[in-house]
Amino acid sequence: MAWFRRKPQSKPCTPADMPGASPLVRMDGAAKSAIETGRNRIVVAGMLFAIVFVVLAGRLMEVTLLRGNDIAARGVVIAPPPEQVVLDRQSIVDRNGVLLATNLRTASLFAEPKKILNPDEAAARLVQELPDLSEAEVRAKLSTGKSFVWLKRNLTPRQHYAVNRLGIPGIGFQSEQRRVYPQGSLAAHVLGFTDVDGKGISGIEQFFDESLRDPARGAESLELTIDTRVQHAMRDELLRAVSDFNAIGAGGMVLDVETGEVIAMVSLPDFDPTNPGDAPKETRFNRVTLGVYEMGSTMKTLNTAMALDSGTVKLSNGYDASRPIQISRFTIRDDHPKNRWLSVPEIFMYSSNIGSAKMALDVGPAGQRAFMDKMGMLRRPVIELPEVGAPLVPRNWKNIETMTIAFGHGLSVTPLQLAVATSAVVNGGVLHPPTLVKRPADLPVPGVQVLSQQTSDIMRRLLHLVVEDGTGKKATVDGYLVGGKTGTSEKVGDRGGYNRKALFNTFIAAFPMNKPRYIVIGSIDEPKGTKATYGYATAGWNAAPAVGRIIARIAPMLGIQPVDEELPEIKQAMFVPIPGKPVPVEKKLAAY
Amino acid sequence: MAMRRTLGDADVELSLGRKLLDMRWGLILVLCCVAAVGWAMLYSAAGGNMDPWASRQMVRFGGGVVLMLAVALVDQRFWLRWAYLMYAVGICLLVAVDLVGRNAMGAQRWLDLGIIQVQPSEVMKIALVLALARYFHGLADEDVRRFRWILVPAAMTAFPMALVLKQPDLGTAMMLGLEGAAIFFLAGVALRWFALAFISAGAIMPLAWGMMHDYQRKRITIFLDPESDPLGSGYHILQSKIALGSGGMFGKGFLEGSQAHLSFLPEKQTDFIFTALAEEFGMVGGLGLIGLYLLLVAYGYAIALRSGSHFGRLVGLGITSMLFIYMFINIAMVSGLVPVVGVPLPLVSYGGTAMLTLLIGFGFVLGVYIHRDVEIPRRGGAL
Repeated sequence: MAWFRRKPQSKPCTPADMPGASPLVRMDGAAKSAIETGRNRIVVAGMLFAIVFVVLAGRLMEVTLLRGNDIAARGVVIAPPPEQVVLDRQSIVDRNGVLLATNLRTASLFAEPKKILNPDEAAARLVQELPDLSEAEVRAKLSTGKSFVWLKRNLTPRQHYAVNRLGIPGIGFQSEQRRVYPQGSLAAHVLGFTDVDGKGISGIEQFFDESLRDPARGAESLELTIDTRVQHAMRDELLRAVSDFNAIGAGGMVLDVETGEVIAMVSLPDFDPTNPGDAPKETRFNRVTLGVYEMGSTMKTLNTAMALDSGTVKLSNGYDASRPIQISRFTIRDDHPKNRWLSVPEIFMYSSNIGSAKMALDVGPAGQRAFMDKMGMLRRPVIELPEVGAPLVPRNWKNIETMTIAFGHGLSVTPLQLAVATSAVVNGGVLHPPTLVKRPADLPVPGVQVLSQQTSDIMRRLLHLVVEDGTGKKATVDGYLVGGKTGTSEKVGDRGGYNRKALFNTFIAAFPMNKPRYIVIGSIDEPKGTKATYGYATAGWNAAPAVGRIIARIAPMLGIQPVDEELPEIKQAMFVPIPGKPVPVEKKLAAY
Repeated sequence: MAMRRTLGDADVELSLGRKLLDMRWGLILVLCCVAAVGWAMLYSAAGGNMDPWASRQMVRFGGGVVLMLAVALVDQRFWLRWAYLMYAVGICLLVAVDLVGRNAMGAQRWLDLGIIQVQPSEVMKIALVLALARYFHGLADEDVRRFRWILVPAAMTAFPMALVLKQPDLGTAMMLGLEGAAIFFLAGVALRWFALAFISAGAIMPLAWGMMHDYQRKRITIFLDPESDPLGSGYHILQSKIALGSGGMFGKGFLEGSQAHLSFLPEKQTDFIFTALAEEFGMVGGLGLIGLYLLLVAYGYAIALRSGSHFGRLVGLGITSMLFIYMFINIAMVSGLVPVVGVPLPLVSYGGTAMLTLLIGFGFVLGVYIHRDVEIPRRGGAL
């Protein structure tokens, strides 16, 4: 470039050409070139100034009109820096306003190892106040030379005071918020928990993580449908069943049949969501919504409702159950064999597999599949939890599958799905999607009519019959009309095939049967026979009495009026005509 | 002291009235306009209050203008004569601040002289321009290209830079370096020496990296990818860009800038004041202020061109460059073009020292115009 290279001195030069040069200086070639350079430089500087101004103006236009909006739209950061953040995660309360999850301000202890003068001494003194820390570990952390390490999160106020009093330089506290669950493990699987940074990573906490953190929601709480009292009663009784029958776990829920609201949901074993890491990992498993099981005979409720609703059978009809069914290499037999023709009510109350399979065959595979789909049994259920399991649906759905599904094998679903479908069976035929979050009173309850009112009415009577006179007798509750269905299924063993010793027992009940309000489902995973059950381990011996006790405890809480079961209008409402065997019911009537 | 005067009438002492008449009042008006923008933004940053910033800034500006006028009226030859001494005083102050300086925000930059506190690095910014201008003024045109003649001014620039770096104040050291480079360039130093300086700077870069404070290294790494640390050091620049973006074309209106008022924006009254301006007055407001600076630079440039002496031209260009570099670094910083360095927006950011430096600097520029026809001998004068 011109202002860079020495130029040949050809141009004559006069003092006027040299504004900077004193006329006293004699001009020679080098000087002249230098002056030219100087002039060029000034021009270049002016051009540089101009260019930079243009660049700045362009950048300003870009940032104000394009880039900034872009950043804001991407939502990179619009929050103030962490020290100004008020991390008030919304609290969670039950349907009556009882606090289930809230925040506690705590202090967390950190160190700036660079500033620690004597790591050995500091570690020794810290561990003295915080005995649950390992001195070697603390010393290692303090000796790293890093600029920041966490030593212990969420100190108690007493620990905070004690550590502060040590006055060790390079040790500091960061004020934090800790998520606490005042009810302990009561609703652990519903609530889930948060990680150490207050982000929901399971249960409701994860499902509603964003809205729980939304500062715009301010002080309002997330209201669940759970009733802490009911939850407690259910958990208490299931814990008792687990210990009585030496089971590996249990699950249960209470569902409002008119709204689909989940009043209680328990999965055992459970954990304390405040310290989820203290319990083994398998405790986080939600047996009600994540586990899929062959629900056994409890599925006969749906099977019978299907047959009645499709009109392939009437209440007065029946099937021959005198002999087991041989189909390909399987034999379908009854657990409580009567070895005779059975009416539809008898098939249901004695839980006849043979009768149920024949009933289903009359509807056929396509009809059964359509019905199960309508009842929500073939799709992943929808509820406000991230832990939801998808059903295992047979790929080939032929006669054999139709027959096994009739009595609850070959189709694995979550207990949640069975409860929701059964609630439609008893509530007049409307399937309400389940929910864990309280719906504003002015919003209509969503629901689909899936069964006729008449079918539902018959099913109520049949379910009541099971408890009154069938496999569910031990679920009887004085003063409350309970109806239900037992289900005992063998779990699939590790090597495939059924394991006769590993049972999954369920009792699904509804009450009061004259006008059902609640479904209660209780499942016990791998119960064992005991002396008190004469070695029996079927659902009638463990799941049914547990659910009966739950109902006895929660019915008064839920405001259900006890009734005199012997009142004629109640007898009338629950009457089931059993062809050829009208006597038992009549007899009872006559006796009083 | 007998100064050799040349060419007859030029040595006539200019009368005070003549000097005042020659004062570039237009330039002073533009300076006032820029300062007024600053007062408005300080008023807004305080949430619509004169206190604590706007009122004090006005008083300081008033004082600064008086000093500026005083500097302008003093004969250029006087400043030429005392340039080296002022430089020496600046160096002494820098050394003194290193020994007995007062700590503020992790750096020793201030010197407490009892009545006033001075920041020697600010004194140096002016003194360096004067000293270099005098040196190159006295240098024969042909010698400018020779290496041995530029060793002295190179050392004159590098020494205060090193002292300021030691405080540590990366921003000011860079300012001094750029200022020096601008004068070297305008004086006509051969570009190969620039190349040499550039290469040796590159060579000592790893060394400098090793000597840098953590926060300085972080600033450089964060600059390369501000979004990598949106809550830490990158936070400033991201918030600044968001604020700029939210301003749009015409801004949110005076006193309506939420980013600034809700304290999302850090240092809104000092280094990030331009962001607050662009948020409230949008692109149009930002371009308006840049336009005012452009006017100032153009004035300074024109005055330098008109100067009859090499000294005057270099002083005028040096001071103008200083303003320009200040402005460029600040605006480029808040809009994310260059790393976050603590450089205020000249005349607008809250703070007395930088404004005083600027106004005194412009006193010299005005003086260059007033004494534009005063001949000063290049060398051999009894200086």
